[in-house]
Amino acid sequence: MVKIPPYLHPGDTIGIVCPAGYMEAEKVQACIDALRTWGYYVKTGMTVGSPSENYFSGTDKERLGDFQQMLDDDKISAVLCARGGYGVTRIIDDIDFSKFIEHPKWLIGFSDITLLHSHIFSNYGISTLHAPMAGAFNDEDPENIYLQSLKKALEGKKISYSVDGNKFNVKGEAVGELVGGNLALIVHAIGTSSDIKTKGKILFLEDTGEYLYAIDRMFYQMKRAGKFDKLAGLIIGGFTNIKDTEKPFGKDIKEIIKEIIAGYDFPVCFDFPVSHATENYALKIGAGYKFKVGKKKVSLSE
Amino acid sequence: MGLGAVVPGASARDDEPLSSFVPKYLRTGDTIGITSPAGFITLEDIAPAVEQMKTWGFKIKIGATIGKRYFTFGGTDEERARDLQTMLDDDSIAAVMCARGGYGVVRIIDQLDFSKYVKKPKWIIGFSDITALHSHVNKNYGVASLHSKMCNSFPDVWTDADQLQKDTILSIKNALTGTQMKYSFLPEGCNKPGAAEGILVGGNLKTLETLAGTSSDLYTNGKILFLEDTGEYLYSIDRMFWNLKRTGKLIGLKGLIIGGFKIKPDDPGEEFGIVLQDIVLDKLKDYSYPVGFNFPVGHQKDNFALKCGVRHRLEINTGSCLLEEIK
Repeated sequence: MVKIPPYLHPGDTIGIVCPAGYMEAEKVQACIDALRTWGYYVKTGMTVGSPSENYFSGTDKERLGDFQQMLDDDKISAVLCARGGYGVTRIIDDIDFSKFIEHPKWLIGFSDITLLHSHIFSNYGISTLHAPMAGAFNDEDPENIYLQSLKKALEGKKISYSVDGNKFNVKGEAVGELVGGNLALIVHAIGTSSDIKTKGKILFLEDTGEYLYAIDRMFYQMKRAGKFDKLAGLIIGGFTNIKDTEKPFGKDIKEIIKEIIAGYDFPVCFDFPVSHATENYALKIGAGYKFKVGKKKVSLSE
Repeated sequence: MGLGAVVPGASARDDEPLSSFVPKYLRTGDTIGITSPAGFITLEDIAPAVEQMKTWGFKIKIGATIGKRYFTFGGTDEERARDLQTMLDDDSIAAVMCARGGYGVVRIIDQLDFSKYVKKPKWIIGFSDITALHSHVNKNYGVASLHSKMCNSFPDVWTDADQLQKDTILSIKNALTGTQMKYSFLPEGCNKPGAAEGILVGGNLKTLETLAGTSSDLYTNGKILFLEDTGEYLYSIDRMFWNLKRTGKLIGLKGLIIGGFKIKPDDPGEEFGIVLQDIVLDKLKDYSYPVGFNFPVGHQKDNFALKCGVRHRLEINTGSCLLEEIK
């Protein structure tokens, strides 16, 4: 049974860190303001707006140290990663989860943070939160439903999402634990200690900035690695900023996926609002969900 | 790697082929089949390769996928699988040269039937996307194959080609006819000296990474691994080397050869700040095997033929570097 970290109460503290790419302190401010409005204290780690001069928000040692400190600090109830980018892979095997396992807390983020979600759920069976990060608060009104979904998730409100049907969807119902995140990171973890098991699970996937052929290759890797074999359901989120080669690949995202899933009988929905764009609902990795794909509506409920 | 972390593939596996099978070397009059299991290519594009290999004394059989096009592919999956299958099964074909790489082998590899090929192995030739075939036949059947330039790299006019280009193309002929391969390459300051013996495996890093967890996933224990790639960002190369490390592919190596890496420049404001040499060496801190950089293999003119699945000796000294085939 999955362990659900304690939900947050007003007055609790959320720690903000950058375990991957660099982010300027000013760009985190809107997020800090919103979290305070929601009733939380905020503690920013030294990797937020760090003096780093390269791609990362600090050296591996600095990012690891900052993240570790937030993980181990009893006064921190949740750790929000300010942004993704690239970098979790470089520190994940050095993170000490022993205190976190004793006292789980919510870990929030997506994109590169997918690796933490997969690693924690696969190894420790603790639920984490796939949700918008600091950048989203700059671009969006904190009242928008996606940022509000993060607020509700942290408060422990049972979540139910309903979206419109899509002619590509495969109808059906499934109940299972939710796993997934960024496709590139999910395939990157295959064969490592952070790999996810998908048997009996509902899997969601999103990605950004990839070539169509590369997406095809990643889906083939998933298929060939058996990730679809005993799957309960598949949720395809947004694939944004997709590129094509000079000579066109000849299939769009939906056609690529349609071809891959032919022969499986689990329900599938497309265009679910989980993505690198505005549409990005908070999803609890590891939590049990009911997934229903009907003709006109798709619902995902805890 | 943290204490207690599981390293898959770090110990010898029961299902790994114990011996290596080297296909018969080619003789004058033997036939080389040409097929396109990945990207599309025209008959005209392969003409220089056909002419050149004929001058070597080989007959050429052109597969049905040459000149076929289905978007970026050399025909539909079915057409590409059937053409390669025909070549694998045809007793009159002594070697199969892939006309070019691109993308597409993983889409057909599980549809291929290697049963006849395993009984009568033949040389499979190519690189880049063809790495998936090298890895698959090495891992599953222990059959040697040839990592080399393909039809699209033969010079249009042989006499106009420079010596390096000729030498790399001739290395294909030498390898196929049974020459014991021996390459000296220039020492680099970042190399890790030492000597090693082991079966040579490797190819395109991205292709190898995307085979993880599949039936074509490469075993690297006790082997000499060579890697090359093109068009990738530094951060992506770093992530791929972490993948190799975290899937247990670096811990049991005898030696590592880094070929050419054509790096995609960082986007403005996204400067990665770590050079290729440090990306590689950083993953190898705990290992003492020899490492040689800048070996002439990759998406470049100096791309010499390498026999995957065949024992080699790697010698990295401060003044000289050598990779040679051994018995």
